[in-house]
Amino acid sequence: MSTPVPATPARAAPSRVDIDRDSVGRDLAALVLTVVELLRQLMERQAIRRIDAGGLSDDQVERIGTTLMLLDQRMTELCDQHGLTPDDLNLDLGPLGTLLPRD
Amino acid sequence: MTRTEAPTLTYAFAVCRGGDVTAPADPLAEPPGLGGLPGLGTGAPVRTVAAGPLTAVVQDVPAAGFDEEALRSRLSDGAELERCARAHHAVITAASALAPAVPLPLATVYLDDGRVREALGEREASLLAALDRIAGRVEWGVKVYAPTGPRPAPEASPGDGPVSGRAYLNRVRTRQYGREQRHTLALRAAERVDTVVRGLAVAARRLRPHGVEVTGRHRTHVLNAAYLLDLGRERELRAALVSLRRDETDVQIELSGPWAPYSFADGGITDTAAAP
Repeated sequence: MSTPVPATPARAAPSRVDIDRDSVGRDLAALVLTVVELLRQLMERQAIRRIDAGGLSDDQVERIGTTLMLLDQRMTELCDQHGLTPDDLNLDLGPLGTLLPRD
Repeated sequence: MTRTEAPTLTYAFAVCRGGDVTAPADPLAEPPGLGGLPGLGTGAPVRTVAAGPLTAVVQDVPAAGFDEEALRSRLSDGAELERCARAHHAVITAASALAPAVPLPLATVYLDDGRVREALGEREASLLAALDRIAGRVEWGVKVYAPTGPRPAPEASPGDGPVSGRAYLNRVRTRQYGREQRHTLALRAAERVDTVVRGLAVAARRLRPHGVEVTGRHRTHVLNAAYLLDLGRERELRAALVSLRRDETDVQIELSGPWAPYSFADGGITDTAAAP
């Protein structure tokens, strides 16, 4: 518990923290994007269900489609920026399979 | 007690009916095929412990390497787990070749031979029932995989210009539909495979399908089943699989075996028939 800390690693510490910060930042981005991607796919499914159920005007369908398309593009850009692939966002839930469908 | 002999525990691999493995031509010899096995590589011979009508196939292992804590760290190390599992499997396979053997779970360790006898005594009825169930039978594994679909084409590449929202939705819908379709077909194929093989088996068990880390990303595991078949039905089984593979072209079907009846012995813990 009270083992005295050896004096030597004092200088090494900052660089180690820096490396960790990078990987923590990347992991956090992956986690956030995973949640966003899950919501995005759920929204797409829900939108298609609504449209298939009928009752929406052509204009509304077009607007929904455009919004979802832009969201999809934005998602791809964000993944590129953080060096993530779609597979990185797909959590393996063990017996439940994967979080997102694997096509 | 100045003897420096390290304390040992008794590691149990399998249970046979007494006499089945302990009555070789030369009564002094350890059962042929067992005595020469390395087992877990502790240097001690693989031997047997008689307990009433039952016989356990065991090995002395050093207490230091196999007490509860040591085992836990041992089995959480992938490479070490594999080594233990292979050693465990090798002994069970050898014992099964000599006589019907109920495989015990990996890392079944007792304090000494006395505790092995006690444990066998307590579970005598269910172990005998399990031995009856597996005698003259072997386990086969059947796995069905559905290949995952192609990656969505690099849609809406920048050069395509603005695509209409409706076109985008249609593309998403087609992809979803295709995925659901493939999934349904694969599950149906898996059910047909299961039905056919079940028809040849005396018992069947559905096990948990493997995740991505085992199957790889290019396929999904849709059926992981074990079947207990009478010895001598192998030819029928293989023929059935040939025709299944011809009919079910949407999925990959893999057969493995024959195995010691791991999925049908329950370590002798229950004596209910494994088949529904």
